[in-house]
Amino acid sequence: MKKDNLKQFYKEFPSNPDARVKALKSILEKEGLIDQKALDEILDTYQNKVGPLNGAKIVAKAWANKKFKEDLINNTDQVLKDMDLNGRQGEHVVVVENTETVHNLIVCTLCSCYPWPLLGLPPSWYKSDAYRSRAVREPRAVLSDFNVKLPISKKVKVWDSTSEIRYLVLPQQPPSSKGLSENELVSWVTRDSMIGTGFPKPPIGE
Amino acid sequence: MSKAHDMGGRLDSRRIDITSSDVKFKADWEKEVFAITLALGFSSLWNLDRSRYARESLEPKDYLQFGYFEKWLAGLINLLGENGIIKDGTESEDNFKKSSFRVLEAKNVKKLLHMGGPTKRDSTTEKNFNLGETVSVRANNSNTKVEKGHTRLPDYVKGRTGKVIAYHGSHVFPDANAHFLGESPEALYSIEFKSQDLWGKCEHVEDTVVVDLWESYLEKFK
Repeated sequence: MKKDNLKQFYKEFPSNPDARVKALKSILEKEGLIDQKALDEILDTYQNKVGPLNGAKIVAKAWANKKFKEDLINNTDQVLKDMDLNGRQGEHVVVVENTETVHNLIVCTLCSCYPWPLLGLPPSWYKSDAYRSRAVREPRAVLSDFNVKLPISKKVKVWDSTSEIRYLVLPQQPPSSKGLSENELVSWVTRDSMIGTGFPKPPIGE
Repeated sequence: MSKAHDMGGRLDSRRIDITSSDVKFKADWEKEVFAITLALGFSSLWNLDRSRYARESLEPKDYLQFGYFEKWLAGLINLLGENGIIKDGTESEDNFKKSSFRVLEAKNVKKLLHMGGPTKRDSTTEKNFNLGETVSVRANNSNTKVEKGHTRLPDYVKGRTGKVIAYHGSHVFPDANAHFLGESPEALYSIEFKSQDLWGKCEHVEDTVVVDLWESYLEKFK
């Protein structure tokens, strides 16, 4: 059996995280290993450009267009590529559809894998120990923390993201939104409805 | 044997705190950690599996106490340490090969983030299980080549029985890749388990859990 001796270098650094990252950054800058402009660009991407609106557009399109929905489910990666919505942490995506009998819920018990290009960075609770440990064992109790109650007629299917496949829930379209245009539907799709911890709802003000 | 990060099914009585759900970064240092970690991820000195391994190998008490980005930061420091960029005073010589380090430039950020790091490989590897087939998960979820090594086989499904519901082609095998033993792609499947079979007592007899598992994690059902 091989050994892997990854040492705990972090202990030599200041324990306060703010001081710790400053100490690290000064080493990296001195060695010329980081380019501040690249760091700014990364942050700009995930703070301002990539977010749940991307996922919402796909869901709204799937609700409005049956043919697109079939393509999205059967040929996901190609469809996302055509829409320019693939990328880091969304290289391989599977879309799971909620129905009258199945409610899907996404988790990553081993770390916090999440479909970044479609939903942006994960919310704090998604990364919490409580969510990671409880979602697979007692999904209905977890859902009640989100004020989501499911009828007994629905089975819960929890997807644990252990590989590089990323999961997106296609929520059921609310009956009261039937007939709306694809554009109008986008604002009904909440982030949580695409993780499975919530439902779509009318935009505020309606 | 399961490490601190392998949390699925662990008893935890805490409610999910949904109040701070829209805060991406709680402080500026978290932004720094996030951006530096992503940038150095393109340095070519390690891979995503290695960085996961670095995080889950932190001292267990730190893993459990650290916030998400504190884990990223400590893991990153360890990766830089093993590459000689950060020194702990025990090295006799400078082992950092600067020439092999790729510095991420701003002009490449968009392209590289868009490309990501696909793990599906064209190679056809052994595939012993079919859609709909009942399979067993290996009873031991330790890495088979490296002592206390990386694995993506969660403790809560080891030795359990489930059904193949999807086949995803051949994917890079984390247990090997995390330790620079090559990509060793293997067939990847989604296996659906009845909650009842995993936990004994469950909330609803129809509920299931789906886990993505590689060929060598699985065995024929007997």
